[in-house]
Amino acid sequence: MPDLPLFALPPYSAPLFIFSSLILKINMPSRPSILSRFGESLGLVGVLVLLVILFGIFGTNFLTASTFHQIANQVPALAVIAVGMTFVIITAGIDLSVGSVMGFAGAMLGLAMMDWGWPLLFALPLGMLAGLACGLVNGWVSVRLAVPSFIVTLGMMLIARGLAYLGTDSQTKYIGKPVEWLGASIPGIGISWAFLFSVLTVIVGQIILSRTVFGRYVKVIGANEETATLSGINTRPIKVTVFAIAGALAGLAAAFGSSKLASVDPNAGEGMELNAIAAVVIGGTSLMGGRGSVVGSFLGVLIMATLGAGLANIGVNEPVKLLVTGLVIVGAAIFDAWRANRMKQLPS
Amino acid sequence: MKSISRHFSSFPPLLFCLGTVLLLSACDESGEKTSDADTDGKPVVALVMKSLANEFFKTMEDGARAHQAENGESYSLIANGIKNETDLAQQVALVEQMVSRGVDAIVIAPADSKALVPALKKAQDAGIVVINIDNKLDRAVLAETGAIIPFVGPDNREGAKAVGEVLAATLEAGAKVAILEGVPTAFNAQQRRAGFEDAMKAAEAEIVSVQSAQWEMEKANTVSSGILTSHPDLAAILASNDSMALGAAAAVKASGKQDQVKIVGFDNISAVQAMIKDGRILATADQHGGKLAVFGIEAALKILSGEGQPEDKTTPVDLVTKESL
Repeated sequence: MPDLPLFALPPYSAPLFIFSSLILKINMPSRPSILSRFGESLGLVGVLVLLVILFGIFGTNFLTASTFHQIANQVPALAVIAVGMTFVIITAGIDLSVGSVMGFAGAMLGLAMMDWGWPLLFALPLGMLAGLACGLVNGWVSVRLAVPSFIVTLGMMLIARGLAYLGTDSQTKYIGKPVEWLGASIPGIGISWAFLFSVLTVIVGQIILSRTVFGRYVKVIGANEETATLSGINTRPIKVTVFAIAGALAGLAAAFGSSKLASVDPNAGEGMELNAIAAVVIGGTSLMGGRGSVVGSFLGVLIMATLGAGLANIGVNEPVKLLVTGLVIVGAAIFDAWRANRMKQLPS
Repeated sequence: MKSISRHFSSFPPLLFCLGTVLLLSACDESGEKTSDADTDGKPVVALVMKSLANEFFKTMEDGARAHQAENGESYSLIANGIKNETDLAQQVALVEQMVSRGVDAIVIAPADSKALVPALKKAQDAGIVVINIDNKLDRAVLAETGAIIPFVGPDNREGAKAVGEVLAATLEAGAKVAILEGVPTAFNAQQRRAGFEDAMKAAEAEIVSVQSAQWEMEKANTVSSGILTSHPDLAAILASNDSMALGAAAAVKASGKQDQVKIVGFDNISAVQAMIKDGRILATADQHGGKLAVFGIEAALKILSGEGQPEDKTTPVDLVTKESL
């Protein structure tokens, strides 16, 4: 390995490369042309490619099919949660309960499969239904009773986690083969069904966001809710729906997560909400609401997963791992704010 | 053009970048050296631990690194841990990353006795030697997946029983005690609870509460406070690890019942030794964490060099009290 100066090593240069790529991304024209939309995603893809190259040089056996399969099979749960979170954040809301709802949905899945003997075919929709129910409660309370989504979902975070513990009797429940196939590598291809389903979810999510009236309304509500209401859009059902989607997708994530462990774990998804928010912010969605991209969030998930995998591959110690990941997230948020500011200043 | 240069001149993000790089350059980089050793043909041993927030696992890692420093020619070490004791998905991801990276052996202290088995079976199928330390994997699940993973570790039940007996000697018959257990599906948690129960039954003490604090100090504090409130005449708390014992001690102090409630733990972390010396905690057990990882690594190296056959090994547990310190 070449004898490079300290700052060239990936843990230190990764943030630098990510920031510089984001700078390049920012200098794309701000007109909503197809080129600029591609430009946004291109910046993220550029960051991903740079990370892969970096870790390829400094890691061991990083540039192998095995590594990419492993990263791909690790992201499905976070990816679908990030899709739901994107919608919520675009409406200028936030959902802190997705991790716990994932745990609760997993508990229901485990109950169905182990205690009631259901096959995955029926247990998975049950899990999604449980997640949907939680999402509906979140949406209804925050919209109808006008409680800020931060507080409602914070409360749901605790409630759902408690329900998860109740449903699993506070223990991991080993399921085994009936659920394992979802997360296992498809022979010959290497990636799992879970990854393929999550990519499908991302595509469907992006289509809904950018090509449907619903998606357009979601953006308008986030950009300026009062204007939306005044233009005759019924904002309430849309806002509730958005939370319901996030909840249902958390239920789907529970199935993906359980397939990785072949078990249902009452602590599943703990901290997932923060990872999802980080991925969404890295992906270019503004926390202020009004604009965002599901594909961007997915790329954000991939960037975080690649960063984590690369750091583990090198064997960097824990404190540095945490530092680097935190800095990347904060850096992305700073650029996002700066870009929003710049878009306001430039003449239209 | 002018507007762009104006933006570049007032460029806080760029300053942030540079500041980051400078800050990180000052950091310790002890982790990176291991990656270039693979090309020498030395076997690579991956140590996958539980929560690095728990001092016990830091001791384990230090012991392993010290061993590797002494035996640098025989193997290279790559160590990883998880954020907290319950992050199973992250531990599974670590195992898979080690498999992708291509290590020769994995020595793992599993956060859960069941959920880690599928990933470890896959590692074994990829030709990696897997050694299980600290917390034994579930025998039934291992049999179901067909994995054969030897266990190197202490007899947790005997160790807990010995600690419980020290406490029992100070208790009267009928005294009320509470047990704080670890992660309930972890085999070592179940064994320590059983050991405590053995000792308490022999002393004819009444176990009024058994609750899990998931091995963690903060949770143990909350749980202990609850137990103290509902059982005001509690005589003792038996904590399945020292992190939880510390949490219990804080709760006992906050309630003002230091003279009434005795506490025992397990692990012998340095933070607890001071408390044993001044009597706040009665006893703990030392399972020699630093050596535990080393035992596991040595077992792995033996198997890799073709000498040993995979078989379980029981490591010593020593009682630690005020007298022995």
